[in-house]
Amino acid sequence: MYNMVAMPAVPLLEDETVERPLHASEVPWQTIVWNDPVNLMSYVAWVFRRYFGMGETEAEGAMMAVHTEGRAVVAQGNREAMERHVEAMHEYGLWATLEKAPR
Amino acid sequence: MRRFEPAAQSGTVEALVDQDEARVLRSLAEQLAGLLGEAGEAESSTDTAVDRILPDAYRDDDEAQAEWRRLSRRALADRKSAFAQRVADDLEPAATNPGVHTVTLDAAGALDWVRAVADLRLVLADRMGIREDGDEPSDALDGGSDLYGWLAWMQDDLVRVLTLLEKPQ
Repeated sequence: MYNMVAMPAVPLLEDETVERPLHASEVPWQTIVWNDPVNLMSYVAWVFRRYFGMGETEAEGAMMAVHTEGRAVVAQGNREAMERHVEAMHEYGLWATLEKAPR
Repeated sequence: MRRFEPAAQSGTVEALVDQDEARVLRSLAEQLAGLLGEAGEAESSTDTAVDRILPDAYRDDDEAQAEWRRLSRRALADRKSAFAQRVADDLEPAATNPGVHTVTLDAAGALDWVRAVADLRLVLADRMGIREDGDEPSDALDGGSDLYGWLAWMQDDLVRVLTLLEKPQ
């Protein structure tokens, strides 16, 4: 016989998640920098340090990811912020795009 | 361009340049400023070099990309054109007088320079068919390969000097 006291009053949702439509401002976006054959590695790392305020190690890591994997996510946040980042990257001559973060 | 050095006055950069070098770089910068000026007037381009210096912001969303172009392209092209024009203006005295000159750049000027140099390299690379890692420059541009190498040195040296200036003294 079940111990009624020990039974949870509310059924636990395990694999199910509660779906509700996200407001547009809640959908996370990403800024992606793509590899190019022109900009020097020293320049790309410097842009990451200067613009995103990355430390030397983080900037080198992001630059190497761009170089070896072809792309790197350098920022995540709301769409407007990512558009500003993309525009700033374009000012520096880096090839950047934004897209919705995978969920 | 012989070298860039951090100047005694904190936050400034001195570029040592002779007249011939100043003429070449000024001419390139003026061409870039012109190219960007024209590109900013148009909604789209058929020039792959322009597409590279004013790239798309959205890859898979035509509607968002069209909106981006409408709202951002013109202003971005104008700002980039101003970076290039600044380089041309800074070089004017050195380009019009014989000898070796010191061009002093403040922090904002050095930032304009490094961004204009990046765009110049992107345009030259496109004109010489450098599209992917490992592409060798074609001889489509007379002396293009040397210019491209010279600008690479400039990009690296400006980064070196700007990094020195950013480090706490």
